[in-house]
Amino acid sequence: MTTKTQGIKISQNSNPVDAAGKFVYRFLKAIPTWALWMLVIIWSIPTGSLFINSFRTRDAQRSTGWWTSFTEGGWTFDNYTTVLSSQQSGGMWQALINSFAIAVPGTVIPVAIAAMAAYAFAWISFKGREWLFIATVALMALPNQVALLPLLQLFAGGAHWTIPGTGSVMTLFPDLNLAGSTTAVWLTHTAFAMPFAIFLLHNYIAALPKELFEAARIDGAGHFTIFWRLVVPLSVPALAAFTIFQFLWTWNDYLVALTMVGGNGASYPATINIASMAGEFGMKEHVLSAGAFVQAGVPLLVFFFLQRYFVRGLLAGSVKS
Amino acid sequence: MENLIEAFWGITISIGVSALIFVGANRLFDLVVDRWFLFRAITGAICGAIFSAVLVGNRLVKGPSLLFIIVCALIFLALASIPSLISIRKYRVGVGLTMGAGVGLIITIFLKDLVNPEIQFTSLLVLVVAAALIYSFIAFTFRNFRIGGFLFFVMIGWVLGGWLLAEIGEGTKSSAYLLTVITFSLLGTSLTSGPERDLLGLNRFQEKTRVAAFLGPALLFVSLGLIIPLARTVYLSLHGIRGREWAGLKNYGEILTNKSSVDLSDWSNIFTSRLFVLALVLIFVGTIAGLLSGRKQGRILEPNGSFLTPSAIGAFLLIFAVFSTLRGTVINNLWWVIVVTLLSTGIGLLAAVLADRARFESAAKSLIFLPMAISFVGAGIIWKFMYIARPPKKPQTGLFNAIWVGLGKLNSGNAGQIIGVAILVAVTAGLVALSIFGVRRKQIGISLGSLFVSLPILWILYRLLGPGIGGVEEGPLGLPIGKPILFVQESPFNNVWLMVVLIWIQTGFAMVILSAAIKAVPTDLIEAARVDGANDRQVFFNVTLPTITPTISVIVTALIVLVMKVFDIVRVMTNGNFGTQVIANEMWQKTFTEFNLGLGSALATVLFLAVVPAMALNVRRMQRGAIQ
Repeated sequence: MTTKTQGIKISQNSNPVDAAGKFVYRFLKAIPTWALWMLVIIWSIPTGSLFINSFRTRDAQRSTGWWTSFTEGGWTFDNYTTVLSSQQSGGMWQALINSFAIAVPGTVIPVAIAAMAAYAFAWISFKGREWLFIATVALMALPNQVALLPLLQLFAGGAHWTIPGTGSVMTLFPDLNLAGSTTAVWLTHTAFAMPFAIFLLHNYIAALPKELFEAARIDGAGHFTIFWRLVVPLSVPALAAFTIFQFLWTWNDYLVALTMVGGNGASYPATINIASMAGEFGMKEHVLSAGAFVQAGVPLLVFFFLQRYFVRGLLAGSVKS
Repeated sequence: MENLIEAFWGITISIGVSALIFVGANRLFDLVVDRWFLFRAITGAICGAIFSAVLVGNRLVKGPSLLFIIVCALIFLALASIPSLISIRKYRVGVGLTMGAGVGLIITIFLKDLVNPEIQFTSLLVLVVAAALIYSFIAFTFRNFRIGGFLFFVMIGWVLGGWLLAEIGEGTKSSAYLLTVITFSLLGTSLTSGPERDLLGLNRFQEKTRVAAFLGPALLFVSLGLIIPLARTVYLSLHGIRGREWAGLKNYGEILTNKSSVDLSDWSNIFTSRLFVLALVLIFVGTIAGLLSGRKQGRILEPNGSFLTPSAIGAFLLIFAVFSTLRGTVINNLWWVIVVTLLSTGIGLLAAVLADRARFESAAKSLIFLPMAISFVGAGIIWKFMYIARPPKKPQTGLFNAIWVGLGKLNSGNAGQIIGVAILVAVTAGLVALSIFGVRRKQIGISLGSLFVSLPILWILYRLLGPGIGGVEEGPLGLPIGKPILFVQESPFNNVWLMVVLIWIQTGFAMVILSAAIKAVPTDLIEAARVDGANDRQVFFNVTLPTITPTISVIVTALIVLVMKVFDIVRVMTNGNFGTQVIANEMWQKTFTEFNLGLGSALATVLFLAVVPAMALNVRRMQRGAIQ
């Protein structure tokens, strides 16, 4: 009963007769749009202001706020040249190269390995498949912190087991002397990415039409052929989505790199480089704003040109279609 | 340039080698059905090479190591392939046994004398029997007993008892010969004991090898990179500083009792804080409104906007009152989780709803989503600039302090103050007019809402006219000078200013996903509601919101897991100083700068335990999905 009376009341009100009502309702209707754009402006100010600041001289940055620069000027490119030519902890160019040396294998290898695993979980039947899949994907929520120290020990000295009673030591995993190298970082990223990658790609690959696989098997194609000729080309959207997601993740990572690279400045990726600049906030402020944008340049480019795929990756990971 | 080339080669080689291994494994397994002999030969050679490499790596071999590896590959090749040529089972087992003995002989020749084991018959016997029993138990549980598998387990028991538990280096060369020859005889017999596979068996075997080839790399990374390290972290957390001496639950006790992790000593101050009083007032007002409208509807309490809005804000302030009084790392983490999760999801939902079907929707969403592309470190730096506090006499360059000090300077009877007061009066008048309009139209929601919004504005007006608003204090000459807020340093609310950074990043994530969920709400549902006369608000609360609730719960789970391990932002902005420490940063400092491996691992384990409920929830969700 109540809903009905309310409904009548509302339909009366949405057709206001007098001019004042019309004005008020139009005003109220406009509030959502205004609120949205307020939100957009508030969300853009932090990035925008740092971007403006990165083009202002040291004196201008220290004496006035960025909003005065529209009237007072003080523009310069010097911050960027300073950042790129600085030699602090290996220099910015080296850091960018290191970031690529981490992010490229740290993206390509997990994508390949996870696609294979996702295919096996979806289309090869074996005992305990369901159980193994759920166990693997459940690790998605595992905090990376729990694996950092053991992995660093593994990279720094291998794994050895002292046989009880005899005192002799058996090497379970050789000391590959990887600590401090970019290899240790992307190997860690590969392991950490596995559960989410398998989950995301499995969602997509398992949804491919069954008839396709049956036809291919009748034609005598083996799993390798099916995977390579059928699944990979058909899963390009999902592969692209995860690739972009993982690339942004590894490029922007700080924790894993900081742990695995340790004190070896020659292997610092750009995130560590700008974080150490931020540590000397007082002195390096003017360079820091430019440094932050040098580091963010690649992900921002990826974001603007490939946003569609990035969003798709996020969606596939969260909403079950 | 040199570095660039080096990095390029590093990337190319690592990707190339991985691809080669994968393609090679698949090509190898292609041989199973048609060229079984060749497959066995190649597999045998690879196993031999890997086995010999392990021995060489452990420095157990004398003579040139390359020669040993080649010899091993060849004898294993022979051991794996030749018996499969013999079709009569009796002879095949015989050949397997003899060839295994030969392999054992050749390998022992290369072994160093200092690894000669002293045979201890008791341990040998115990382990062999134990291995045999373990296999039998498994085999009978799965009702699948195979003599080959049995012999393989016996061999493992033999190796463990004969080599690993023996006094290595004490024995003679002949005992080494005896042990090795028997080991490989067992292996040879175990490999040849079963019936030769028929075509069906080969096909089945090939299917199995595919599972290994496709899943192997992923499972290798998962177990070596996640599961074994997790087990080791738990193990280390039960040990002392160096991770060697047993400490029981001491590390966990330290986390729980240490003042720096949980400090409840100021709990009584909660009740006297202004936030607490304000929260109670809001909840009280909300409840009164709920009771009043409930009476109208004939119910005790009406869960409508005028009840929920003030009560929700009140509850939220209550959280702040509690968490800003109780201090410590664990408390900070909980505070982060609650505030960031709620506000990111809330603002994300708001943005998604506002943007839905708005003009320039995708542009607006993409700008709110943009921070997701920026690293946590970069975001920390960006906000550090927003929070800068310059010395009082200098102009403020951080936006927040510029506004704050600017507001303070309004309070000196200048033009700014008059303009400010005028604007506020106009806004209040507008709201009052709106409220009267609502009363006339019997739209009680509009009326109450505008009154509610006008309350904080009236309060600002009062501050502006009376005691002043913003950061300002009286200077030495009686002139006002700025008094900036040290956003990053002033505890406990600096925690909130750090949380803002993560909210700023994660709102885009929540918005994008919720926006997709809102668009996926079936249009016939919405149209049906509209036909029944529901307005926008009713459609949202009664149709859209219930439909997207599962998505909201997915986002909330994901955010809880993410916020629980917040690290980069805190490390870059304060490094845990000024009372902003969180578990992840504490764990990092304890482990990698103070080298307290036990305590660091215990902190990591606490993080793990905190996300276990989320993991269980995910598993349940997936199982439900699998059943459907």
